[in-house]
Amino acid sequence: MLQRLDLGHGIGLRARHFTEFLEKRPPVSWVEVVTENFMADGGRPIAVLEKVRRDMPVVLHGVSLSIGSVDPLSRSYLSDLEDLVNRIEPALVTDHLCWGTHRGQYVHDLLPLPYTEESLDHVAGRVASVQERLGRRILLENPSSYVAFRDSAMTEWEFLTALCTRSGCGILLDVNNVYVSARNFGFDPIDYLDGIDPRHVGQFHLAGHRDKGRYLLDTHDGAVPPAVWDLYREALRRFGRVPSLVEWDDHIPPLEEVVAESRRAAAIEAEELAPALRRAS
Amino acid sequence: MTLAETQALFHQLVTDGAPSGGALLDGCFTGTDELTAADRVAIYRNMYAARLVEALRDTFPNLARFLGEERFTALTQAYLAEHPSNHHDVGRIGRLLAAFLRKYPDPDRLDLADLAELEWARNEVFFAPDSRAAGVEALAEVGTQGAAGARLRMALSLKVIDLAHDAVALWRGLESGELLEPPRAGSAVGVWRRGFEVFHGALPAEEAAALRAAKEGATLEVVCGFFADRPDPAVDAHAAIASWFAEGWVSGLASAAP
Repeated sequence: MLQRLDLGHGIGLRARHFTEFLEKRPPVSWVEVVTENFMADGGRPIAVLEKVRRDMPVVLHGVSLSIGSVDPLSRSYLSDLEDLVNRIEPALVTDHLCWGTHRGQYVHDLLPLPYTEESLDHVAGRVASVQERLGRRILLENPSSYVAFRDSAMTEWEFLTALCTRSGCGILLDVNNVYVSARNFGFDPIDYLDGIDPRHVGQFHLAGHRDKGRYLLDTHDGAVPPAVWDLYREALRRFGRVPSLVEWDDHIPPLEEVVAESRRAAAIEAEELAPALRRAS
Repeated sequence: MTLAETQALFHQLVTDGAPSGGALLDGCFTGTDELTAADRVAIYRNMYAARLVEALRDTFPNLARFLGEERFTALTQAYLAEHPSNHHDVGRIGRLLAAFLRKYPDPDRLDLADLAELEWARNEVFFAPDSRAAGVEALAEVGTQGAAGARLRMALSLKVIDLAHDAVALWRGLESGELLEPPRAGSAVGVWRRGFEVFHGALPAEEAAALRAAKEGATLEVVCGFFADRPDPAVDAHAAIASWFAEGWVSGLASAAP
C-alpha cells in the first residue's frame, strides 16, 4: 500500500516562470518539474530548482524512462536520474506508463502499450529494477491515448492495478488523461475511477486538452476544462485528499493564471471533502 | 504479436512516415468508423514530427528565423532522418546539425553551418557546470617567481570555437532584424556564461590559441608565448589574461609544484 504524502496543491514549474517564481514566491505548496530538463551538471535550470527546493517539496516527473520499452533500461538515464534524485531529494519520483525508445532511438513521446500479460510481466520487472536502483517507490502516470491494440486483454485501469500489486509502484492519476482517453475510446471515465484501488493513488494531474472534432488531444495548453473539473470531483470522492498538480506546458500564461488554476483545485477539494471531514469530526 | 513486434511496427509507423494503411497496421491496432486505426497512428506521427521541429527551433532560433518555417521544417526532417534522437534529453537532438549543414551545404549561405555551430555552443554553455570566478589578484598571489609555472583553471562553461564564416554578425543581424550581408570570413569565437546569461564574441587568433592552451592546462609561460608576435608581448599577454579574469573565465590559479 502506498504511503500517500500530504503535499497539498502544486503547479508545474516551467522555465518561463523561473524569475517570477523566485521573486514572488506564489502561494503553492509544492512544484513539479520535468526531470529531463534538470539532468545537467550546471546552468540556470538546476540552480533555480535548488533554490526552490530549499523552500518547498519538489516532485520529479520524467518523460523518458521508457518503462514499457523492450529496449534495455538506459544505464546513463538511470545514472542521471539517480544523481538528480540525490541532489534534489524529491518528495516523489514519477514517470509514465508508456514506452518511447526503440533500438536506442527516442521518439520523445509517450507511446501506449498493449495491455497484455506479457506487457505486465515486462513492465513489472522493470519497475522493480528502477525502484531498487533508486531505493524508493515510483509513481506511474496513466497516458492519454489515441490507439488501442487488438492484443489488449485488459483495460488500462486493470493493468495499472495489477502493476501496482505486483511491483509496489503507485499511480499518478492524470484526471485529464482519463477524460481524453475515455472520449477517444468511448468508455465511461467513471468506470476507470471505480476500477482503481484508492490505496495505489499517490498524486493527481490536472490539465487542459483540445477538441479536434473526431478526438481529444492532450495538449496542456489551456485552462482545465469544466468536464475535467467534474471528473476531478468524482476522483476526490473516491480517492480523498491527494497531492494535486496543474500542468500547463504550451501557450503558457502568466504565473498568476497557473497559480489560480491550482487555487481552484484546492477550492474544489475543500468543497468535496468538507462534508467527509465534518462527518469524521 | 509479441510486445517487441508491436513496438517495432509502431515505431516504424511513427518515425518513418510509412504508408498509413495495410493489413499489418489493421492487424495491430483497432479503430472505429469515425477514427480508423490509420487515423489514430497518424496522430502520433504528426506529433512526433512537430515536437522535434519545435525542439530544434528552441535550440537554433536564429537559424530557424533565417530559413523560415517551411525551409526549417524541411531541414529538420532531413536531419532527423539521418540523425534520429538517441538521447533522453530532447534538447540534445541538435548536436550534429552544424556537421549536417557542412555535409549538405547551401551554396549561397555557407555560413549557416557556422550559425548552427554558434547556436549549439551557446546551448551547451547555458547548461555547462558552474564555476566560481577568480579575481585577478590571484595572479599577484603567485608572485613573479611562481607565475611562469602556474596554471590557470578555466571556467568549465567557457568554449572556444572556430567559425569559417562570420556567424557572429549573422547572429546579431537576425537578433536585431538588421539587413543581412553575404557570408564573410570568420574567426575564433569565445562563448561564455555570466550568471545565467550566455555571451559570445570574436577572438584574435593568438588569444584563442592561448585560451585553448590554458583550458588544456598549459603553464602561464606557455600561454603567454602565444602573444610573442605582438608588438609588446608581455603587456599584451598580461592585458589579455587580466581580461579573462574580468570576464569570469578563470576559476582559479594553481601554483607551480615546488
